[in-house]
Amino acid sequence: MANNFLEINNVDFKAGGKTKVKNVSFSVQNEGDIICLLGPSGIGKTTILRTIAGLEKINNGSIIINNKTISSKKIHIEPEDRNISLAFQDNSLFPHYNVEKNILIGTEKKNKKKTKINAKEIVEFLNLKKILNKYPHEISAGEAQRSSLARALVSNPDLLLLDEPLSNVDQSFKEEIQVELKQLLSKSKITTIIVTHDSYEAFYLGSKCGIILNKQLKQFDDPYNVYHFPNSVEVVNFLNRGILIPAKVTSENSLENNDLGTIKGNFVKHYPNGSEVKLLLQPEDLEHDDKSNLKLEVVDRKFRGTNFIYTLKTPSELQIPVFVHSHHIHQHEIDEKFGIKRPIHIDHIVCF
Amino acid sequence: MFSNKFNIWFLSSLLISLLVIIPILTVSLSFFEDTSRYFDILKKTFLFEYIFNSLSLLVGVLILTFFLGVGSAYVVSFYKFPGVNFFKWALILSFAIPPYIYAYSLFAFFDNYGTAFTILKTLFGDGEYNKSIPKFDGMFGLILSISFSLYAYVYILARSSFLYQSQNLIDLGRNLGFSKFKSFYSIILPAARPAIVAGLSLVAMETLAEFGAVDFFSVNTLTTGIYNAWITFDDLAFANRISFFLLLFIFILFLTENLSRKKAKYHLDTRGGFKQKEKIKLSGTNSFFAFLFCFLLFFLSFLFPLGQMLYWTIKFPENFFDINVINLLLNTLYLVGLSSLVLIMFALISNYGNRVSRNKTLNFLSTLSISGYAIPGVILAVAFITFIAWFDENIIKSLGFLSIKKLFIGSILGLVIVYFVRFYSLAFNGIKSGYEKINVSVDESAYLLGYSKRKTFMNIHVPYLRNSLLFVVILISLEIIRELPITLVLRPFNFETFATTAYISASEDMLEAAAVPSLFLILIAAFFITITSNYILKENNG
Amino acid sequence: MKKMTISALILSLFASSFAIANEVNIFNARHYKADAELYSKFTTATGIKVNLINGKAGALEKRMIEEGADSAADLYITADAGRCGAFKAKGMTQSGLVSSTIKSSVPKSFRTTHWVGVAKRARIVYYSPERVSGAELSGLTYESLADPKWKGRIAIRASSNIYNKSLVASLVKNNGKKAAGEWAKGVVANMARDPKGNDRAQIMAVAAGEADIAVANTYYLALMLSGNKGPEQQEAAKKVKAFFPNQNDRGTHMNISCAALVKGAPNKTNAIALVDFLLSPEAQEHFTNNTFEFPMIAGVSPSPLVVNSLGLDFKQDLTTSVASYGAKQADALEVMTAAGWK
Repeated sequence: MANNFLEINNVDFKAGGKTKVKNVSFSVQNEGDIICLLGPSGIGKTTILRTIAGLEKINNGSIIINNKTISSKKIHIEPEDRNISLAFQDNSLFPHYNVEKNILIGTEKKNKKKTKINAKEIVEFLNLKKILNKYPHEISAGEAQRSSLARALVSNPDLLLLDEPLSNVDQSFKEEIQVELKQLLSKSKITTIIVTHDSYEAFYLGSKCGIILNKQLKQFDDPYNVYHFPNSVEVVNFLNRGILIPAKVTSENSLENNDLGTIKGNFVKHYPNGSEVKLLLQPEDLEHDDKSNLKLEVVDRKFRGTNFIYTLKTPSELQIPVFVHSHHIHQHEIDEKFGIKRPIHIDHIVCF
Repeated sequence: MFSNKFNIWFLSSLLISLLVIIPILTVSLSFFEDTSRYFDILKKTFLFEYIFNSLSLLVGVLILTFFLGVGSAYVVSFYKFPGVNFFKWALILSFAIPPYIYAYSLFAFFDNYGTAFTILKTLFGDGEYNKSIPKFDGMFGLILSISFSLYAYVYILARSSFLYQSQNLIDLGRNLGFSKFKSFYSIILPAARPAIVAGLSLVAMETLAEFGAVDFFSVNTLTTGIYNAWITFDDLAFANRISFFLLLFIFILFLTENLSRKKAKYHLDTRGGFKQKEKIKLSGTNSFFAFLFCFLLFFLSFLFPLGQMLYWTIKFPENFFDINVINLLLNTLYLVGLSSLVLIMFALISNYGNRVSRNKTLNFLSTLSISGYAIPGVILAVAFITFIAWFDENIIKSLGFLSIKKLFIGSILGLVIVYFVRFYSLAFNGIKSGYEKINVSVDESAYLLGYSKRKTFMNIHVPYLRNSLLFVVILISLEIIRELPITLVLRPFNFETFATTAYISASEDMLEAAAVPSLFLILIAAFFITITSNYILKENNG
Repeated sequence: MKKMTISALILSLFASSFAIANEVNIFNARHYKADAELYSKFTTATGIKVNLINGKAGALEKRMIEEGADSAADLYITADAGRCGAFKAKGMTQSGLVSSTIKSSVPKSFRTTHWVGVAKRARIVYYSPERVSGAELSGLTYESLADPKWKGRIAIRASSNIYNKSLVASLVKNNGKKAAGEWAKGVVANMARDPKGNDRAQIMAVAAGEADIAVANTYYLALMLSGNKGPEQQEAAKKVKAFFPNQNDRGTHMNISCAALVKGAPNKTNAIALVDFLLSPEAQEHFTNNTFEFPMIAGVSPSPLVVNSLGLDFKQDLTTSVASYGAKQADALEVMTAAGWK
């Protein structure tokens, strides 16, 4: 534990006198790790970044970076002395400087380490060349956001904090930037915390993801685990992928649902036989089989390019999502019957 | 927490608010004092007259400034016609004419044997013209004087609101099949309403505070009533009682203005969805009428009073040598410089304090401290003297100290203090609106990039606020150049400004002699307006 | 450098309060160019600096009252005896404005030990010779202005005007408050228009045909005739003639410009020296030729313009003490207001 790069221990995060997130603890092990904080808007993700940056104070717990306490009840190192960069979500460019000067201010930062980042390269990949001579009021919101990101990157901080860095960037351009950003960050070993409400972005960029819900850090784990082993109903609802259906545990490796029958697989957590549980059913858990005798009625079909998501209605009025590859031979119309392959097998059984 | 609160920001905001509260408190407390018995009967009739006159004046001025201000703003923002770019700018020159100088000009032109008479005589030979020349004096003359001098408030605010109205809004009207008039009436006007109300409230406040013109036409309003009650009846309590009614009036206006200004802000956001308007090119008759309207307005509001004062200066050249122009200019500039310096210093400290501390008490105090602008100068001056006299008698002397009266009454210090109270909101709001354009996250970015608070202030705030500061200095200058009642009551020995010289000449039956100082006042004010017109009229909010 | 300028500016805030010199401080409600010229002559002659604060009489008085014993004021100079009297009644003046020059040159009815008249003016009637016959005018008194024959023909200033207050105060003094009240009602009924404008405006109203007779002070007509106010006013002035009321009884209402010695005056000796100077033949001549007032001292003649246009040979009211103007001022205002005199 002692040698974690960043440690946050039992901190209540506050903004404007109100507690936004309570009793948070997490750590970033290695320099160069990327952490993503996910959660609905207004939940206090930004407050966490602001507090780490030193813009808000804390009354309990501690924030330690490189074995040095930067925030606690008694200690508060001023933001200008932390060497932490924060790229704000809203436009925070200096209005009286043009974009170029704004970005270069980042390189003027005192106490900087030896440069690992080339400003030119960043301007290149963030596609800022054309607007270098423009002033902040002359550029679009997306351009402003990319400029702020560039400014934060070139300052080469010990810790980089990005608040919804790509929320205003065009969708077409976003994925390209995500790729380059990830490469750049890992190449230059800049430890980064990214706040976002986009779970795909978080899963792609983060080596660890924190889910903040209801004033708490609900889960802090790597993206695979967060997705496949959500630790609470709230996390399931937030990621909004699967549904919870009632089931009864029948053995070490099976449960029973009234509509779907027997479901087999490996329990993530042990439940005694006969327990009434809620089983997490994700769209990819069920397989389509026209020949199956388990037929359910189609109530909705969403085309998602590479796949369809069908919504099926069970006799007990549950609505179940099912994933089907879009190359599948034929499409099922609404009100048609849709077969599901039996026996149903789920790799990891997550119950609550 | 406690020690945190009592920092320099808090103390200076507290000091400023106290300065402003004192006159309000002095006025409110004396409301319950006995007034002298002798004039009891007179007072009842007077009070009614004062209120009636103030109301009539207010209604008259508001109606006229609405039509002049909104009409001209509409024409120059939506249409293209010969001279539109000139008028856009020229129409704000009326700010250089204080209502009292307009009043002098109006009287000088239309009076028996006045300028109108001379013109008719020169054109048509001797004749009995006096009876057929209309007389614009009394209430009617007063309404004209104030309206032509102040309509620019409505013009500027309405125009900037019209400018930010997107083409989409106008297209919407077309799409709904509205006529031009219907579009104006049911889309353009309501969308600009907050800005127009804000402009009208400013006009209303200035009207209620107006002293020079009201005094010149001997119309008894609440404001001159206060002055008369104090001076003629020697009845400070009654003066304060009238002030109380006036403040009540003004308080309502102040609220209206503040609320509308907050709403008006929404119109300034141009990000997204804004489509630059295409001005409609007028042709033929319409173009001529638009030109005529703007030209008449420009002529009546600026050229006419300027011309009258210029004519008199040339006609009675001996008056030119009677006043020491250099001395008056230096005095005026001295007051302007000193007041601007003090005002800007405190307004900067207070704004910066609000920004870094985000403290609610502090915010409340600064809101309070800008209310001085709503209080007419006459009341401020009277209340200031009353307070100093009371404070001197009851506190200073009883403690065995030397009298402080001379330090404050009839000194530049006293003048600057009262100017400060009256014009603080100009400085504060001017800097605040500059600050509002910089997101707080800009400061925070600066800290995170290693800038200290001081460096952030010097390298980020000050350069960015430079335009706002310049604008504020000009606004304060314009106000102080034309300020009358405070200067009149509080100035020291041998100290005159253009405004007081003009006023005294006019009030002592030597209107011709008022022309020279008036002319200089207009020219200096016009100069100041011209150098900042780009800022006032800028089309791009950047 | 910048800091020094700023500190100098701030220091200068206080500087003005502490000036001490051989000087005399005047609260001045007379704003004639001629007065300023006289003051600088005085400074040249005596080395005493004259400090002026100009303003309307009421505001100046108020400020002296509020400043109280700490006021720097030495002399209060104003153009109406009623003001000096009322100011004295408030206890704001002091006795001691006495010198051999004052005693020998100023008639007793125009001075007290608190204040002294320095120039005279009469408030008279102007008429249009075209519309008013000699018979109508003959024997005209202030009292007879209430006669219904003048209905709709009189132009006169507002009741708030100090000259009118003093005129009506003299009527209260001579005829009693009740009679003055009846008189005021009569005058209001005879007005050609609502009171407005200054004295010159009343004379011009007669010239322009708005009224047949007007009440105004003597020096205004001379001022208009002088051409200093332009050829139009000169032309207007030629259309009116002056008439001196009450020639058959107490004489025409006289008023003065007066200088009062302010209580607690820090430069009393200099103040008296200035008053003496204003009463010198040289100063008196300067007054008569420039402000067109009547001289206070014997041996100086009024301006030829005044002599020619008005005629000097008239009976001045020397029985009604000008001090009573201040004493009866409140009564005067009350009867005018009660009569609906705006």
